[in-house]
Amino acid sequence: MKISPVLLNLFFLTCFCAIKAKIVNKNVERSLDLSSQLVKSTIKITAEDTTGKPLKEYVLILNEPNLSYISVTDGSKNEIQARKSNGGLQYVITFGSSSAHQIILVETVSTKNIMPYPEEIKQHEIQFAKYVGLVHLYSNYETYSQKTIVKLGTSNILSHTQVKPFSTATDKLIFGPYENIKALSKQELVIHYENQTPFMTVKNLERTIEVSHWGNIAIQESIQLAHSGAKLKGSFSRYDFQKDGRSSQSAIKSYRTILPSSASGVYYRDTNGNISTSNMNSLNDFIDLELRPRFPLFGGWKTQYTIGYNVPSYEYMYSNGKKYQLKMHLIDHIYDNMAIDKAAIKIVLPEGADNIQLTTPYTINRRQNELVHTYLDTVGRPVISFSKLNLVESHIADFTLNYTFSRVSLLQEPFLVSGFIYIIFVLTIVLLRLDFSIALHSHKD
Amino acid sequence: MILAMARDLLTWEKQEHLVKLIILITAAVLSFATRLFSVLRFESVIHEFDPYFNYRTTRFLAEQGFYKFHNWFDDRAWYPLGRIIGGTIYPGLMVTSAALYRIMWLLNITIDIRNVCVFLAPFFSSLTTLVTYALTKEIHSTGAGLVAAALISIVPGYISRSVAGSYDNEGIAIFCMLFTYYLWIKAVKTGTIFWSSLSALAYFYMVSSWGGYVFLINLIPLHVLALMMTGRFSHRIYVAYSTLYCVGTILSMQISFVGFQPIQSSEHMLALGVFGLCQIHAFVDYLRSRMPKDHFELLFKTLVSSVLTIVLVVGTLLTITGKVSPWTGRFYSLLDPSYAKNHIPIIASVSEHQPTSWSSFYFDLQILVFLFPAGLYFCFARLTDSNIFIILYGVTSIYFAGVMVRLMLVLAPVMCVLSGIAISHLLAKYIKSVDAGGAAKATESKRQHKKLEQQSGGVKSEVAIGFVGIITLMLIVYTLHCTWVTSEAYSSPSIVLSARSHDGGRIIFDDFREAYYWLQMNTPEDARIMSWWDYGYQITAMANRTILVDNNTWNNTHISRVGQAMASSEEKAYEIMRELDVDYVLVIFGGLTGYSSDDINKFLWMVRIGGSTDRGAHIKEKDYYAANGEFRVDKEGSPTLLNCLMYKMCYYRFGQMYTEGGKAQGYDRVRAAEIGNKDFELDVLEEAYTTEHWLVRIYKVKDLPNRGV
Repeated sequence: MKISPVLLNLFFLTCFCAIKAKIVNKNVERSLDLSSQLVKSTIKITAEDTTGKPLKEYVLILNEPNLSYISVTDGSKNEIQARKSNGGLQYVITFGSSSAHQIILVETVSTKNIMPYPEEIKQHEIQFAKYVGLVHLYSNYETYSQKTIVKLGTSNILSHTQVKPFSTATDKLIFGPYENIKALSKQELVIHYENQTPFMTVKNLERTIEVSHWGNIAIQESIQLAHSGAKLKGSFSRYDFQKDGRSSQSAIKSYRTILPSSASGVYYRDTNGNISTSNMNSLNDFIDLELRPRFPLFGGWKTQYTIGYNVPSYEYMYSNGKKYQLKMHLIDHIYDNMAIDKAAIKIVLPEGADNIQLTTPYTINRRQNELVHTYLDTVGRPVISFSKLNLVESHIADFTLNYTFSRVSLLQEPFLVSGFIYIIFVLTIVLLRLDFSIALHSHKD
Repeated sequence: MILAMARDLLTWEKQEHLVKLIILITAAVLSFATRLFSVLRFESVIHEFDPYFNYRTTRFLAEQGFYKFHNWFDDRAWYPLGRIIGGTIYPGLMVTSAALYRIMWLLNITIDIRNVCVFLAPFFSSLTTLVTYALTKEIHSTGAGLVAAALISIVPGYISRSVAGSYDNEGIAIFCMLFTYYLWIKAVKTGTIFWSSLSALAYFYMVSSWGGYVFLINLIPLHVLALMMTGRFSHRIYVAYSTLYCVGTILSMQISFVGFQPIQSSEHMLALGVFGLCQIHAFVDYLRSRMPKDHFELLFKTLVSSVLTIVLVVGTLLTITGKVSPWTGRFYSLLDPSYAKNHIPIIASVSEHQPTSWSSFYFDLQILVFLFPAGLYFCFARLTDSNIFIILYGVTSIYFAGVMVRLMLVLAPVMCVLSGIAISHLLAKYIKSVDAGGAAKATESKRQHKKLEQQSGGVKSEVAIGFVGIITLMLIVYTLHCTWVTSEAYSSPSIVLSARSHDGGRIIFDDFREAYYWLQMNTPEDARIMSWWDYGYQITAMANRTILVDNNTWNNTHISRVGQAMASSEEKAYEIMRELDVDYVLVIFGGLTGYSSDDINKFLWMVRIGGSTDRGAHIKEKDYYAANGEFRVDKEGSPTLLNCLMYKMCYYRFGQMYTEGGKAQGYDRVRAAEIGNKDFELDVLEEAYTTEHWLVRIYKVKDLPNRGV
């Protein structure tokens, strides 16, 4: 038998802990939201040290594949210290307060764990999905009592794992409460159910933020979008599609993108030009953009487009003398329950920006700074670029970029233009007044 | 205001300069601005069909460089034949925009190549305006030049081919042509090698950008010939023409698409002949000046007869051996408008190759049609070397414009030049009398008044004012007409259609781009798409997929094969499609929206072209007509039509659609008929995609069924 080093490691770790303290999960409440293409889980763990000593450290195992986002808070929603260890496979949580009794609230979002099944459907057929997970929380510690509520958003359940006790509500499955679960117990949970929500994946997002100190920030997002649900089998009939819009519910006809309320000059286009099928509603707090791709997206179909807009810089820029700070969303909303496979972000600063420091809300993959030359540039604008894989809506958070910039550099461009025109005029005057011909000829006057 | 200030500050000469400059700049800016209707109304997008090919090649050139472009073998077109792009196009247009693009990027102006292409034609129209001024000024006077520049800046005949987005050879070729003419006139006037070499360079640019250079290389020799016949031949013309011909011909042969044509094809023989004639004429002149008269005449007669026989014999020999190529079809159709219709259906099927109707002359040129003869008259009244040129240009181009609609483009500039001459002539004559009226009042002396009146040609000031008023009114009407025509007729991109809805709002039909984008996104990279040739360029440019035939209609049999597939029954068509490796078939169908230039309306051309080759002998045009000889799609239509592939692809499941209130299902709004064959299934194809308004329908060709199934 092969024992993976990870497990071995875990084993030693548990032993090590057990000498000092015996931690148990007194109660675990799990709720899984499977009603979209994402698996959103909230886990409330009540942990206790049965020896009565204050609970200092708790190890949380992250075994969920394609985990995109995780947040760990205590019972009163304060963030608690957690560090990744063991190659990112586990979280070691350290508690501030000394008590034998601690509440941990874990929220996770993962992508690609709900797969369409069957993988191919016809235009009028319903899309079913299969979720494969675990019945119990995979934990280092023994659990006294555990309950899992699975929200499906539909009552059309084809099959699910039957571990008693369980019960069914209108759009929910409730597993448990189970009692006295051993540590590291793994029991598979499979749910096969109707899921007609759009399975959309942004395969690649390229976001460019171009800062101008003349008061404007231009944002452009180039998006490769694919329908990652059940693939369309056979032909697409426009007649059926138009006759009964509800017949192909899993197809994506349109979706909403939310832009900041101050966004102006919004455009939506692709390599063939403007896409004329979009609506914009300005609401108080944000702009609601209803985007319709050129064609409805059926399973397996792809599209690609660019969206861009301007925002005034005073909302995002702060300055103190020569020091500037830019605070903006690292990624922004594309559609509800979005899943982004890969995002590459570029921030173009004005010419002459220096001492650039980037702080991000989560770890990113920083790339080398570049220089870009565009309108009226001489030395080029610095470009900060970085990328990240597997993002979801919870990743919409602000980055902070500090840099220095002297206001005098602002005048460079107007001077360049006026200087250029000046030189042209001088040259014209010189050329018109002087006679460059070799031959001698007498002047008329 | 500025003028008033200028009057106080500047001398008369400087004032004139200022006025000239203002008029020219206004005309140049106007000619750019008036072509932007479609950009403002829709977006910065390439129009029509051919411009998409030019755009695609330009993109390639800008990205890959000239040598890669020159050796480019395009496997996306004419499957399975492919096309050698570098050797089969006039590269002037692409090189121009790629050069502009590179220069701008060098200056850190990071403009998109598409925008360079979109705005190239308006930019060159501005240059054309300036060149027209220079040309007319050389021929007649500064005043005529200014009027001509103003006229050409908005003439619809030229705008039709040079609006923003209409990225075609003609957009820059008209500039090149007029520029060459200008330099030629300069060369004729000065007789220096400098100007004639410049005009040879301009000619080279013209050759590199448009096949219409043939007109130019026939017109200039014709001018020289006319000068010879009118006894105006001189050393100046000898120098000018010999330089232009030699340098120009050698340069033009550098364009690989032109190759050895300038010395082989019969279209260029006039130039060669006149070149020879020039040498003889100069030689004869030389002899005449050195010999006694009777000796000379004897020599002259023998020379003429012997040269004529030699030329005839050599000419026939070359024609028989095929060294001098026979005249091509397009050239025949220039001389005989009915030639194409009878012999080459593919040429006749293009609407821009049809003979021009009278109304379109008025539509495209308006008052210029009436001013043109007047201008001709003024040129005849004071013949000069350069006047003869413009007369010849006017007379020949009006003939060609009558033969082929698209040559209206060549006519428009000369119309403007001659009308400019006419207007400036007339105004110059009458405006003096208007002024005389004012001057007379100031002096209040009858005698002086009479004297002035006599000086100014004896026209009463009231008459003069009336006349000037009428001319002004005509010019205002011309401006209004031009703006109206530009905005209504020539500014729709045809890739995006728009219509008015019942409540007055604008509906956009963006189906073409929807379909092309679908193809690009959701078909395999190497999919081969069959469609009628009209859409070939657009598919390669916008969908980036391989197509069988496109707008470069060089291979008649291949197009004919596609026509046969469209016109055959499903089983026959499947054989052809398997033979051609077709994966998808694309048809344009307007029956739902009422878009009339769809494939059903073009279908008879497919039948004709399909039946024009040996392999399509089974396709006979008369099989597709109903019993009474009409082409109809309803129950009365011929069964061959109702069961052919094109019909089935267009009307698949259309029989269940309600299109118009009060009409039965399957009512075709273009043909105004309920379709005859409603209930059918497709055996060898399956619907892959249909756009929102059913304008484009794409079908996937099914694979052969598995054995034993």
